[in-house]
Amino acid sequence: MIEAEGLYYCYEKNGDYVLNDLNFKIDRGEFVFIIGASGAGKSTLFKLIIREIVPVKGTLKVFGHDLARMPRYRVPYLRRNIGMVFQDFRLLEDRTAFDNIAFAMQVTGASSREIRRRVPYVLELVGLPDKANAKVCDLSGGEQQRIGLARAIINRPAMIIADEPTGNLDPENSYEIMNILRSFNIRGTTVLVATHNHEMVKLLKKRVILLDKGRLAADEAKGVSAGAL
Amino acid sequence: MPCNGFFYAWGEALRSLNRNKWMTIASIGVVVVTLLMLGGFMLVHLNLNHITESVKSQVEIVVYIEDTATLAERNELRERLVAHSALAEVRFVSRDEALRRMKEKLGDLVEGYEGSEENPLPDSFELRTHNPEAVGAVAEELARYPAVAKVDYGKATVEGLFQATRAVQLVALALMIGLAVTAVFLIAHTIRMTVFIRRREIMIMKYVGATNWFIRWPFVLEGLLIGLFGAILPLAGLYYIYRVSLDWVSANLMFLTLVPLPLVMVELSKYLIPLGTGLGILGSAFSMDRFLRV
Repeated sequence: MIEAEGLYYCYEKNGDYVLNDLNFKIDRGEFVFIIGASGAGKSTLFKLIIREIVPVKGTLKVFGHDLARMPRYRVPYLRRNIGMVFQDFRLLEDRTAFDNIAFAMQVTGASSREIRRRVPYVLELVGLPDKANAKVCDLSGGEQQRIGLARAIINRPAMIIADEPTGNLDPENSYEIMNILRSFNIRGTTVLVATHNHEMVKLLKKRVILLDKGRLAADEAKGVSAGAL
Repeated sequence: MPCNGFFYAWGEALRSLNRNKWMTIASIGVVVVTLLMLGGFMLVHLNLNHITESVKSQVEIVVYIEDTATLAERNELRERLVAHSALAEVRFVSRDEALRRMKEKLGDLVEGYEGSEENPLPDSFELRTHNPEAVGAVAEELARYPAVAKVDYGKATVEGLFQATRAVQLVALALMIGLAVTAVFLIAHTIRMTVFIRRREIMIMKYVGATNWFIRWPFVLEGLLIGLFGAILPLAGLYYIYRVSLDWVSANLMFLTLVPLPLVMVELSKYLIPLGTGLGILGSAFSMDRFLRV
């Protein structure tokens, strides 16, 4: 599903590498934590995966496509297959929960009938069946992140990438969010989570990729590296 | 654009106009003010043109015939004038007709000549040129013809008038271009601001896989609607102002003929509506490109 080979990236020409010779492979249906200190390159890696930026060296294949060679007009279609979850939720606060989730479906040209059918179902999956008409600004942080998760899953993406999804949440809400992500994973969606939340990494015992100053410092199958931090 | 996308784009454009009410009002306001000024200036320009054209079309050359000229000489002169390529109209005015006209104009002052054999006025030809600005040159040429006593065309008045109208037109054109350029900047800037306010929304759309045109369409339609409202309002305002002005002029300055109202409105709509909508569309399409690079 994701293959990185000798992957390098730097933000400025001749600047330091933010990602330095990364090599890894993530298969369909995996749940992977990407961990590392701030500036280790986690967010940069996610930007590369959604092709917001392109590698300066090496190759990155997502769903079998070499992203450096992907024409710009194909990028929206790549992103429809990747659900994204952000630390700051990135919701439209003046709109309802329903509108925020429907928004991602409208983009793909879905009919309003399909939207009316699918949004309540997804709201149920994230445990907010009665919040469809609530304005996002009236929801708690945990609820907002669940709306973010619902939006990420609405188009049945093959993969979800979550950048610090619990960074702004208390432990109880963090646990809920991780549980929802795990439930998506059980249904077959590949999940990548960048996090600082070591407790969660230890608890879930999933594969962990540890980045250190842009290099791959460890790639452990059962959350062992979390202890090394 | 697929059917769903079409309705989505229109719906989104209308919703967004409503959602960002104050920004919408501000944007329309900018378009209204600039197009109102531009339209007002166009009104002045149109009417100045109309007045100078009507004055120009009244400019005549009068060729007075020598009293001593024979019939053959008079006929020859007439033929030469009719054949002259620069002349549009040649009319013979007999001395009797000239006297009658003078009486109509001056009334009692010419009483003494009534029925008199001593009509002091000569026979003449009244001429109109194709190009009013050529009267000077044509008049000079005609003065050299045989049997011509004198050529008259109000030299100083005509030349002064043409110089003045040319100057006024140049100033008007420069001001209109200046105003149009200002309007472009103001509108583009306002729309860039509305796009800037919504950059977060655009960024989220990019993340969930919207194509650039999917994002652009609602903004383009929004720009079109802002431009359209921004053009219709000043048109309505100018209609009212012009109607009142026409009434006032026809009551107080009867000698002045202005361009009729329907003609003015057609002329103004022809420029203001495409200008407003065009500016709205271009402004929104281009000012958002920076935000699409995510």
